[in-house]
Amino acid sequence: MAAQGGAAPSTYTPTPTKKTQRSPFFSDSDVDWLRPDGRGFHQCRPACGFTFNLLGCCDLIVFTYAGMFSLSLLSSCAFFSVLYSYMKGFFRTGAVNSAAGSAYAEFGNTKVIVSVFGPRESKKAMVYSDVGRLNCNVSYTTFANPARGLGSDNKEFSSMLHKALEGAIMLETFPKTTVDVFALVLESGGSDLPVVISCASLALADAGIMMYDLVAGVSVSCLGRNLIIDPILEEESFQDGSMMITCMPSRYEVTQLTITGEWSTAKLNEAMQLCLDACSKLDKIMRACLEEAASASQD
Amino acid sequence: MESERDDGRSPSQLRPLSCARNVLHRAHGSASWSQGDTKVLAAVYGPKAGTKKNENPEKACIEVIWKPKTGQIGKQEKEFEMILKRTLQSICILTLNPNTTTSIIVQVVNDDGALLVCAINAACAALIDAGIPLKHLAVAICCCLAEGGYVILDPTKLEEQKMRGFAYLVFPNSVVSVLPKGSSRVEGEPMEHGIITSVTHGVMSVEEYLKCLERGRAASTKLSDLLRRSLQSQLPSDSSKAV
Amino acid sequence: MGLPDASEDLSSEMEVDAFRRLFPLRYFERHLSESIRPDARPLGRARDTTLALGAVASAHGSALAKIGSTTMLAAIKMEVMTPSTESPDEGSIAIDFHMPPICSPIVRPGRPAEAAPVISKQLSDTISRQVKSFLCYPFLLNSGMINLKELSLVSGKAAWMAYLDIYCLDADGALFDAALLSAVAAFSHLQIPIVSLNDDGKIELISEEDDGAKLEVEPVNKEKRKLTLSSIPFSLTCILHKNYILADPTAEEESIMETAVTVVLDSSSRLVSFYKPGGPVLAHTSAVQDCVALTRQRVKELQNILDETLSGMEID
Repeated sequence: MAAQGGAAPSTYTPTPTKKTQRSPFFSDSDVDWLRPDGRGFHQCRPACGFTFNLLGCCDLIVFTYAGMFSLSLLSSCAFFSVLYSYMKGFFRTGAVNSAAGSAYAEFGNTKVIVSVFGPRESKKAMVYSDVGRLNCNVSYTTFANPARGLGSDNKEFSSMLHKALEGAIMLETFPKTTVDVFALVLESGGSDLPVVISCASLALADAGIMMYDLVAGVSVSCLGRNLIIDPILEEESFQDGSMMITCMPSRYEVTQLTITGEWSTAKLNEAMQLCLDACSKLDKIMRACLEEAASASQD
Repeated sequence: MESERDDGRSPSQLRPLSCARNVLHRAHGSASWSQGDTKVLAAVYGPKAGTKKNENPEKACIEVIWKPKTGQIGKQEKEFEMILKRTLQSICILTLNPNTTTSIIVQVVNDDGALLVCAINAACAALIDAGIPLKHLAVAICCCLAEGGYVILDPTKLEEQKMRGFAYLVFPNSVVSVLPKGSSRVEGEPMEHGIITSVTHGVMSVEEYLKCLERGRAASTKLSDLLRRSLQSQLPSDSSKAV
Repeated sequence: MGLPDASEDLSSEMEVDAFRRLFPLRYFERHLSESIRPDARPLGRARDTTLALGAVASAHGSALAKIGSTTMLAAIKMEVMTPSTESPDEGSIAIDFHMPPICSPIVRPGRPAEAAPVISKQLSDTISRQVKSFLCYPFLLNSGMINLKELSLVSGKAAWMAYLDIYCLDADGALFDAALLSAVAAFSHLQIPIVSLNDDGKIELISEEDDGAKLEVEPVNKEKRKLTLSSIPFSLTCILHKNYILADPTAEEESIMETAVTVVLDSSSRLVSFYKPGGPVLAHTSAVQDCVALTRQRVKELQNILDETLSGMEID
């Protein structure tokens, strides 16, 4: 249909009549940025894993929508009273049956599925290797971003994911073989890469791949004088600089640290501490998810 | 008004068929098949050693490459490749040459309706020419359902465009057997009444589909007799090739 | 099954799981002879099917369909195009089916799955239901599920192009059935945005908030927020093996018994497609009729699931 009469007709996404007016961000007043979703600067996105009820069943759907509203109400109440609230995210292991291990993560509008295959035969005929290989791939759906994309592989994220996980996996436990970690970003809502990395480490744990520790990833954006944790898409587009830390919280070791943009040393230190704190909180949620899955499988 | 067809054929009359085998010298087997102005050339290479990835090495592998008349291969051609592959797999004896690949290259020379059908017939004839052992032949036929609910066979491109729906059907040919008649019957139906492949387009009622089946079967019997005769008559000429 | 005797001897002392892996066909046939399948389903029953609408916030319409563990996510994005001169008051639909590497161990990145373009083609045939997708016959377009005229905005100037992308998140057999269900559900969930035509001849979005209050521009599609779906197609894939007919096969069943038949019927019980691409088992008239009968039953089930899901949406 699209290719009717040779070339596909060129299309465009209709944009709003007038751009939403936003006050200048970095004036010297006290409150210079209001987060679009009403969170505090150092607060991560709340859990709302019900919108995407991957593992749920049909009977729950009515409840699902009701549940979603009450949850978001709850969380909005919570953050007014406690500014530095715990990080909340939604994780679920075992989302894909045909994979050796898998996990689904949902943070705000960022929705990610990661499947792990293997250890299995290395596809490319490579030289003998004492240690196992890790193969990572991150791709986006065509509808992940507000404007329709091509849904292609993200080479940069693929290699970043590889580097973030490499240090945590005991590669010597599966010599000669490859573990494939494939991630699909169903919907992009900002902070995609840290969510992909955290989700991937859960999927690896679900697949029973030996690791030194889980890997938790958190990013911080610098907007003027403010540090904003777990930025959403809109915030990422306005940021002056960003930092992402992926670490193994119980070993207190960093597997990857990326910094882009403008940072002062003081800000850098503050942001690093903020990230590491958030990572250890994220780790608790991830562990709880694994424990829940393990106890569910025992029953 | 059933009888009105642009080229003056009756509804169940096929266009003139012609089949020539051994038309290419480098290929292990080849055939050209034409129905009216639709013409397809098929070449068979193989069996070659080894199977492709994701194929069962305990069986022979069939690979089909579709070459359109012009332009690049699209979704439509990919689907044709898949249908052709699955159809040929079902008539070949795959356990005879395990871990081998047989390639069938189908080149469209001209498309004037019933293209897939023509390609299946051509590929089948090319397999015979290459001496690949087959369980039976596959006879393909295209049935069209016109506005009035009547069925016409072997449409031209112009007729295809005017139709409400059509069905590509592939049947096995009747087997000449020393066994008593009826021994190869399945649930009271002769073996050659079973469908190997069925692809339909357009909306029709179930009854209309069954009507298409019936008409297709009747025509396929005639077609398979013709096919058998034409293959036999060509046999002596390629005795050198069989060695 | 070269060594039936050997398996006979071994089977008595072998563990069930080992037997299943070593002699998959015999394992299945033993179940079939008892009219049951390894997952405890009767032969003609489909797996549990669930549907959730609105899973993707960034799309105009989306649905998540699950048949057993086969999972499909369909999302529709509406974009504006200039209609062709042959059909100035018609929009268009582009359907694409993706199998990302997460869905199955067979698919690798960079190498698209063989099945993907074929299912993609089947879906566009079923949904836009033209005789051939590369040709355009005006009088046939209206026989489909969607009237393309409803996608028109300004005759000759602007029309909607609906991009439907279906992602397979978990491949466990009967991919086409799940994909079609998710596609149909996504179309019934579709909410077309309100737009207006600006002075440059471009289509612009009218934001939902200032709806009604201060509309300085006249929306061009005030009434056309939903598509009317006529005669919705549903499908059922069956495996033919000997005289058995297995409805809604899993990936394991599909790999062991190769003859698959996909029947698509619409809500008024007309046959949209009878698809049997080869396979070692021949389909005789009785099998054809049995498959159609099973599909008729399944269409009712699926219609109910879709209706329930839609009414669940309206309550909220």
